[in-house]
Amino acid sequence: MLDLSSPIDTLIFAPLAPILGVLLFWFIQILFIESQKYLLSKIWDKHQPLCRFTNLIGILFQTICHALGYTVTRSGISTFYISVDYGRVEPKKEKKGMFEWISNAFLFIGPFFIPPGILLIPILLLTKKTFETAPDAYNTFSQGMIHFGENLFSFSKSFFEFLFTIDLLHPGHLGFLLLLIFLGMGIRPSYIAEEKRREKISMIYDLKNIKNLVLQKPLYPIILLLLSYIIFYISLILEQNWYTTVFSILGWLSITAIVALLIGHMLVLLIKTTDKIPGIWKLLPYITIIVSYITARIIFYLHPMDYSNTISLLTTICSTSLITMFLIKHKTNKFKTDTDIKGRMVEDGTGRTS
Amino acid sequence: MEQEELLKNEEVEKVLSPHPLSFMKLQSLCIFLIVWGALIGWFVNFSEYKNLFVNDWITTMTWGLGLLLFGIAASLIAIQWSIFLLYLTTFVLGILLMLWQGWIENSEIFIPFYTVGVSVIGFLLVEWYRRSHKYIISNLRIIFKGGIFTKRERTLRYDKITDIDGKQGILGQIFGFGTIIPISQSGFGLGSDKTFAAAGIEVAPKKIGFLGLFGGGKEVQTPRARSYYELHGVHPYKEVRALIENLVQGSVITPYQQEQVTYQKEQVDLQKQMRDLLKKQMELKEEENEEEKN
Repeated sequence: MLDLSSPIDTLIFAPLAPILGVLLFWFIQILFIESQKYLLSKIWDKHQPLCRFTNLIGILFQTICHALGYTVTRSGISTFYISVDYGRVEPKKEKKGMFEWISNAFLFIGPFFIPPGILLIPILLLTKKTFETAPDAYNTFSQGMIHFGENLFSFSKSFFEFLFTIDLLHPGHLGFLLLLIFLGMGIRPSYIAEEKRREKISMIYDLKNIKNLVLQKPLYPIILLLLSYIIFYISLILEQNWYTTVFSILGWLSITAIVALLIGHMLVLLIKTTDKIPGIWKLLPYITIIVSYITARIIFYLHPMDYSNTISLLTTICSTSLITMFLIKHKTNKFKTDTDIKGRMVEDGTGRTS
Repeated sequence: MEQEELLKNEEVEKVLSPHPLSFMKLQSLCIFLIVWGALIGWFVNFSEYKNLFVNDWITTMTWGLGLLLFGIAASLIAIQWSIFLLYLTTFVLGILLMLWQGWIENSEIFIPFYTVGVSVIGFLLVEWYRRSHKYIISNLRIIFKGGIFTKRERTLRYDKITDIDGKQGILGQIFGFGTIIPISQSGFGLGSDKTFAAAGIEVAPKKIGFLGLFGGGKEVQTPRARSYYELHGVHPYKEVRALIENLVQGSVITPYQQEQVTYQKEQVDLQKQMRDLLKKQMELKEEENEEEKN
């Protein structure tokens, strides 16, 4: 039997628990997106094709989400256009009210969740696990938070186990990593551009769109909130975990997106760092990634041992970092002197160097 | 470009060649070979399904089947049967080589290396083909040069260009290259897309012996040329396009200029008439003066 010791908590606050959890992770995701956009804008001049590519992925998902919005609301699609600069979707029938609001919701919120949704499918297939969810319904805010956290923990555990044991010589795993990098680069609703159009590249721009969406028709978000309360009460009466599970899936999507963005960050940082290395030396870190991994795998193939995949990955990361740092130290800063200037006698005999 | 090839008052504006990624259709055929070679190598040697490939012929036939199926699919999409023939040749050559050298027992090692090797050769051939293209944009004309064995050349004067078609695929938009097809007054640079539908009926020979074939076709004209006769995958696309547009514009008489020419012609005619009249008047005066003197 359910314990309804605190009716106010159960009726008002408990349904909010997973919603707040999702909002928290979603906000972290936005912060990572903002950071990645900033990093990408820093390498725009030297790596325009890469930045355009990431723009294309971002715009592609934005446009697909917009089209999906029009399809769900049965407005139809008359124009569908995508380029590296912008995307355009126009409906066949202009629908107002709730339908228009739903279409816009798809446009502004969809790009945050559709790419990780695509990633979630291969994760489920490759990890060969069905992620566990808390089995029962809950009736207090704190219980809700615990259930939501447990669901996220079980997913994160499997996901990170898979990531740390990823076998890059397995076509499926390699394909997944490439997908993770490519989608991670494009999980964002707006695009980055040249300096003169920098006003586009801000987190505020994305949030402003969402704020307008909420304030434009405040009735609809309230209806959605009420709907979620109703689903919570039904789950509670039937003692099912549907309510938490639905929000947990959104949390999983956010975690997937954050991991994809983190890996994207590492790649962009590597690119940004290697840009400082002159000539063909800048290719050495990238060659190190491939060579060190394959070498490690060959060694572990000949001398098998536990955690060989993880150790290979660590070897690759460490050797690439070391090589990059070594090159940065020795192949940059041409004005560095062979011997230390400090402590050398100057000709006037004061012994001071300035 | 050699100096003696230039015309009088001709200056070279740009010398271009296709972007390294502009022949991605051909390169993707090689990419497939690499991917397929690596996949087969992994499946046969390392995957959990490697026990399925106990017989060497199973490995060979799976490899061949994959190649040929992709060849058929790519040929149908590109409407170009040479793709299928290319994969068929790769397959047949591979089998012959294995039989000749007795490597069929080591097919699990030979096939991945052979497939990747063929794709590397393919990449080199595509690169050779790409480098054989050269486009020279001068202030008077565009010169298209190319050909690996047979050298081809096309010269197009700007005043003969009636239309400029440009296209930029996804890769082109990312890397900033695109294809420009200048269409001449003679229609050079235009191709056609044809669709054809046919149906046939054959009734058993003993009964009626009738064979019917019904068909219908449609044709659409579209800008298309061989890569030697168009500015294929030129970089930077926007800049080159703007340059050509300006040069074409500079060689074409605008309606205002045409009006001015007609007006000037009328003026000249009028002046000629006036000169003739004045001449006649002078002659008449002279005649009158002579008569008065007499």
